[in-house]
Amino acid sequence: MRITDTFASAFRAVNSNKSRSLLTMLGIIIGVGSVVLMTGIGKSMEGLILSQISILGPRAMVIFPGSGPESGPSGVQAGFDSLTFDDFEALHRLRTIDTLAGSIQLPGRVSFGREEFEGAAFGTMPEYFHIQNVNIDRGRFIDQSDQEAGRFVALIGPDVARELFLDQDPLGQRIHLADRAFTVIGVFEPVGTVFFSNFDENIFVPLSTARSITGKNYLDIINMNSVVDPALAIADIESFLRQRHAITDPENDDFTVRSSGQAEEILGTVSLSLTLFITTIASISLVVGGIGIMNIMLVAVTERTREIGLRKAIGARRRDILIQFLIEAVVLTLIGGLIGLALGIGLAFITAMIVQQFLDTYQFGVSALAIVVALLMAAGTGLLFGIYPAKRAAALSPMEALRYE
Amino acid sequence: MTKNPPLMETQALCKSYWNEDLETPVLFDINLKIEKGEFVSIMGPSGSGKSTLMHILGFLDDFSSGTYLFQGKPVLKMDDDTLARIRATRVSFVFQAFNLLPRTTVLQNVMLPLLYHPTIATSEREQRALQAVETVGLTDRKDYLSNQLSGGQKQRVAIARALVTEPEVIFADEPTGNLDSKSGAQVMKALQDLHESGHTIILVTHEQATAEHAERIIRLRDGRIQSDDKDFKRRNVKASDILHI
Repeated sequence: MRITDTFASAFRAVNSNKSRSLLTMLGIIIGVGSVVLMTGIGKSMEGLILSQISILGPRAMVIFPGSGPESGPSGVQAGFDSLTFDDFEALHRLRTIDTLAGSIQLPGRVSFGREEFEGAAFGTMPEYFHIQNVNIDRGRFIDQSDQEAGRFVALIGPDVARELFLDQDPLGQRIHLADRAFTVIGVFEPVGTVFFSNFDENIFVPLSTARSITGKNYLDIINMNSVVDPALAIADIESFLRQRHAITDPENDDFTVRSSGQAEEILGTVSLSLTLFITTIASISLVVGGIGIMNIMLVAVTERTREIGLRKAIGARRRDILIQFLIEAVVLTLIGGLIGLALGIGLAFITAMIVQQFLDTYQFGVSALAIVVALLMAAGTGLLFGIYPAKRAAALSPMEALRYE
Repeated sequence: MTKNPPLMETQALCKSYWNEDLETPVLFDINLKIEKGEFVSIMGPSGSGKSTLMHILGFLDDFSSGTYLFQGKPVLKMDDDTLARIRATRVSFVFQAFNLLPRTTVLQNVMLPLLYHPTIATSEREQRALQAVETVGLTDRKDYLSNQLSGGQKQRVAIARALVTEPEVIFADEPTGNLDSKSGAQVMKALQDLHESGHTIILVTHEQATAEHAERIIRLRDGRIQSDDKDFKRRNVKASDILHI
């Protein structure tokens, strides 16, 4: 039998048994599709989690008052007055860190005319914007002269600008914050969510102004960059502050130092468990798809065994039969695999479109490894259960195969 | 000059089926010779071993002991590929159950053996298949799917498939068994015509009337040859038996 005939026979068989072909492909489509979709979602989730810190850069560090496991980096601890302005000044002496910025939290309710918005407000220093990689969109940053003069000026996030001013130009407008009027001097570029809180809802005013309003003589948070290995810088800061606060037992620390590297590790663990979870589910769907392929292939065996008997009775050699079934299985698994791949990627893309409405840092993603594994598994199952029965049937005498029930 | 060996010759041929350790003997000590160009009926009641004998003679099944010579050559010594080549070129079958490929057109079914034929050119296939379909009078149905045909039409497709490679021997296993008498007559007419044109025909049946279309009747009973008879009044299919639809 010529190879072109073998191909033609295989395609004719696939085509003339449409329901069987479709059912076989369905198993592969579901298997490959769901694996690609779920690992894609997993990858996007992982990306989402990691994007919460990647904006900060690996050298970013933070000190906040209070201690214990409940003091996460996102919760600025109000009411803790352990980080004084003197501590802040003294920290400048450490050689392991630079670019320090201290901040005080203000009540987040802000209004313009009759428009109100509940954001988060901070009095901070010009260095802060550098550490957080904030870029200006319109107007300017809070600078050293604002700081020194204690001006009532505010830099607002794009979400604040949109909520309060709609289409108006916010620059030069006067907003009310903590019962005082501030002039808007700038709007920063969208940053997105950082540690799962929306950075674009922030309002910044000079630290000196915030201090004079609140009368606080302590800081709610200190940001900085490390210039050495963050672990080394953490140890340096801890021993320095313990000495200043006369703490001997680290259990009694009244401050917490964190680096973005540490946070990345923690979130990395979270996303690893997520990946494992998704992989487990994906493996299950692959097995389910595989069982589907197996069933339909085995169910078709009776009819196919007779067909093999007939083909042998009219002169087919064993290898003619095997090559025909091999090509059939390859054609089915290939088409099914590609449809499943397209479907999985398509659904992952649609999911990303939808989720982005709520979480704008969610990015569409697919896992190349998962695609390869899913395709190989589906093709393997299809080939195994397509060829193995054919191989057995081809070894029978034509009459045994024709009599098969 | 030695005389040509018979087309088929068996000596002490035996066949048993094995079901796990249980032996069921079907054929005992079969000795027969069939010459080229004969039209032979193998007759016997159900379970007599007639189909098994035909399947062995037609290379569809193996035998347990004895000798089978095809054109003087021992079949036992032939390898798989040689057997496949003989099935593709020298012999062909008409089965009681038709065994057409489902959901496949008449023409494709008839062309199927040509795919496995080692010498017939690709370009000749369609012409040969069309000719075979015409021989059995199904030209107007050539593009029908096999499952859209009546039993008689299916069997005529099977006959067309059997003669498309122009084999030396055509085996027919109860070809009229699933058919009404009119369709049966058409099938027998087709077989007699093939015999007229020089083919060797071996017909298996349990009906005396069907068997009498042949020139020679071999009767089997309980796996043994009971009689081998050429002395009977041969039936010919009359035109009045076949009214084309």
